Amino acid sequence: MKTPFATLAFCALALPAFADVNEVLDQHILPYFDGFTVATDTLAAQASETCDPALLKPAYTDAFNAWMAIGDLRIGPSESGALSIYFWPDKRGFTPRTLTRLIDEKDPVVQDATAYSEVSIAARGFFALEQMLYDPAFSDYRADSYNCALTTAIAADLAAQAKTLANAWAKEFAVTIRTAGQPDNGTYLSEDEALRAVYTQILSSLEFTSVQRLGQPLGTFDRPRPARAEARRSERSLKNVLLASESAYAMAGHLADWDVPHTDAAMSRLRDAATRIEDPAFQDIADPSARFRLEALQIAVQDLKTAIEGEIGGHLGIGAGFNSQDGD
Amino acid sequence: MTTRRGFIASLLAASATPTIGWADVGNPSYIAAARIPDGTFALFGIAGDGSTRFQVPLPARGHAGAGHPHRAEAVAFARRPGSFALVIDCFTGQVLHELTPPEGRQFNGHGVFIDDGAVLVTSEQASSDSQGIIGVWDVAAGYKRMHEMPTFGIGPHDMHLMPDGQTLVIANGGIATDPSDRTKLNIPTMRPNLTYLALDGSIRDKLELEPDLSKNSIRHLALRADGRVGFAMQWQGENDMAMPLLGLHRMGEAPVLASAPLADELVMQGYAGSVAFSGANQSEIAITSPRGGRIHRFDEKGTFLGAVSRTDVCGLAPLTGGFLASDGLGGLIAVTDGKPHALARENCAWDNHIVTL
Repeated sequence: MKTPFATLAFCALALPAFADVNEVLDQHILPYFDGFTVATDTLAAQASETCDPALLKPAYTDAFNAWMAIGDLRIGPSESGALSIYFWPDKRGFTPRTLTRLIDEKDPVVQDATAYSEVSIAARGFFALEQMLYDPAFSDYRADSYNCALTTAIAADLAAQAKTLANAWAKEFAVTIRTAGQPDNGTYLSEDEALRAVYTQILSSLEFTSVQRLGQPLGTFDRPRPARAEARRSERSLKNVLLASESAYAMAGHLADWDVPHTDAAMSRLRDAATRIEDPAFQDIADPSARFRLEALQIAVQDLKTAIEGEIGGHLGIGAGFNSQDGD
Repeated sequence: MTTRRGFIASLLAASATPTIGWADVGNPSYIAAARIPDGTFALFGIAGDGSTRFQVPLPARGHAGAGHPHRAEAVAFARRPGSFALVIDCFTGQVLHELTPPEGRQFNGHGVFIDDGAVLVTSEQASSDSQGIIGVWDVAAGYKRMHEMPTFGIGPHDMHLMPDGQTLVIANGGIATDPSDRTKLNIPTMRPNLTYLALDGSIRDKLELEPDLSKNSIRHLALRADGRVGFAMQWQGENDMAMPLLGLHRMGEAPVLASAPLADELVMQGYAGSVAFSGANQSEIAITSPRGGRIHRFDEKGTFLGAVSRTDVCGLAPLTGGFLASDGLGGLIAVTDGKPHALARENCAWDNHIVTL
C-alpha cells in the first residue's frame, strides 16, 4: 500500500506538464464552450421571435465568433459532434442539396427541434444557417414561409447542440483528460497521452487553416477557387482564419509555461499578413497580387505551426504519429 | 521387443528433435512488429491478456507477418517496397532464413502459410509495372522459391487462405508505384479488385466495385469461418468524400458496402488500416483508422454499431468477446461491447498490424 507521502511525491513529479493540460481546459476550452452556449442561446431566442435575416445576422456573427475559439477541436465529444455544427468543406454540395430537398418537400421536421437533430448533418449548424441568412437563393423569404420555419429550426438545433457538446466536455471528457493514466481510463493510458492529444489539436487546427481555409480558395495559380472559400457568403473567411489561429496560439500559450519567442513572433507576423488582405471573403484571388497576399497569410499560418512544433512539441518530446503519418 | 529403457530412450530422442512449438515461446496468440525506444525494430509475441511473450530483433521496420501453424517460426515482412522477409525462430530470436524476392520483384508486406505450413506464399509485385505476383516458397527445402503466379491485379497487398484451405483471397490494391519508393503512378486510372485463386493459380472469382469506387484501394482482409470476407479500403480520391471503407463479400455473391453515419465517416479520413471479425459467432467486424484515431464496428450485415477513439490506432485482431487493437503509443486495447479497456501499454510503437496465430 502506498503511503500518503509516496503518493504525494508521485503527483509532484507528474504535475508540471500535466498542470498545463488542466490550464488549457480551465482557461480556454471549458469557458469558451460556455460562451458558445450563451451565444447560440441568444441566436435561438431571437430566431424564435423573428426569422428576418437582417435582424439575425449580428447574433449569427457573435455565435460563429464564439465557436471559433473551440470549433477546431476534434477530440472527445467534438470528434464527430463538431461536424453537425460545422459541416465544411462541403465538396459534394450536401448543404444546399439537403436544404433544397427539405424546402421542396416542406418537410414537417422543422416543427420539432428535437426531430431536427435527425436531419442530415449537412443541413444543420452554421453553414446551413449561413445559406438561409445570406444566400439569396434561400434568404429571400417571408415570415409565414417554410424557409422562415427552417431558419428557426436550424438556430434552435444549433443551440441544443451547443448545450450538449459543452456539457459533454465539462461533465465527461474533461474528466477523461484529467484522469489520464488511471486504471479505468481506456482513452488515455498515461498523462503524456492526454497532453499529446491536446497538443495535437493545436497543430491540426493550424494545418486545417492552412490547407483548407486558405488552400481551398487558393486552388492552383491557373485555377483559383473563390467559391470554395469558407463562410464566403457571410464574408467571414478571413475572420475565421484569424480567430482559429488566435485560438491555437492561445491554447499553445496555456500549454507552455516557458517563453516561446518564435511562436509569439510568428503570431504577430500572421496578424500583419491578415491586415493586408483586402477582401474578407477571398473573392479577389484571381488577381495575382491578391493571391500573393493570401499565400503570404498561408505561409504565416504554417510558420506559426512550425514555431509551436519547435518550441512546444520539441520541449514536450512529442513527434508525429507512428502509423497515422505512414500508412499502408 | 521394445524394452522399457529403449522406449524411454526413443521418447527422449523424439522430444530432443529441434522442433520448437508455440508452447515453447509462451503460447502467444498474436505476433506484431514495433519500434522500440532505442529506435530499432522488433517482433513481439503477444498473449490474449496483452502480455508480451517474446521479443526478437528486426533489422528494419516491419509491416505484417505470418506465423507457421505449428513451429514457433514467424515470417516478418518489411514494409513495402520490401526487399526482404525474415524467417525468425521465435525461441532463439535467430534469423533462420532471409528471403529475398527474385530480380524484378518486390515484397508487398503480407504473406501466409498454406498446405499446413509446407508452403509459404508471399504478396509481391513486378517492380517494372506493379503487376501482382504470388511468390510460392518451399518451406521444408529451407524456403526455396518454387514458382510464382499472377494475382490478376495491380499492387496486391493483403492475402489470406480461405477456410477451405484450397483458395487464396488477394486484395489487389490497384495502385501502381514507382519501383524505388511509394510514389503512386496511376491514381486516375486505378482499378482495384478482390481476387480468389485456387492454389494452382486458376481464378475462382473476381470482384470489382462500381466505377465511382475505383479510387477505393482494397488493401486489407479479414476472414470468417464460413467464408465471408471483410475488406478494408483506403480512398485515393479527393479528401472529405466520406466513402465507405469496409466491404463484406462471399465468393460468387454481390458485395455489401458498410458506411458509418456521415459525421463518423468523415472522422476516418478515408483510410482504414486493419480489419477483423470478432464477437459472438464472429458477428461483428471492425476497421481501424490511424489517421482518424478511430475503431469503427459494424454488424455482419454492414450496419454501423459504434466508434471507439484511440490515438494512432491501427493493428486489429479478434479477441475473445471483442477485438484487440494496437497503436503507435504502445497501447494494447481490448474492445468489448464497444468499450475500450487497456490491457497493456508497452514502451514501443506498434506497427500497422497484429497477426493472429
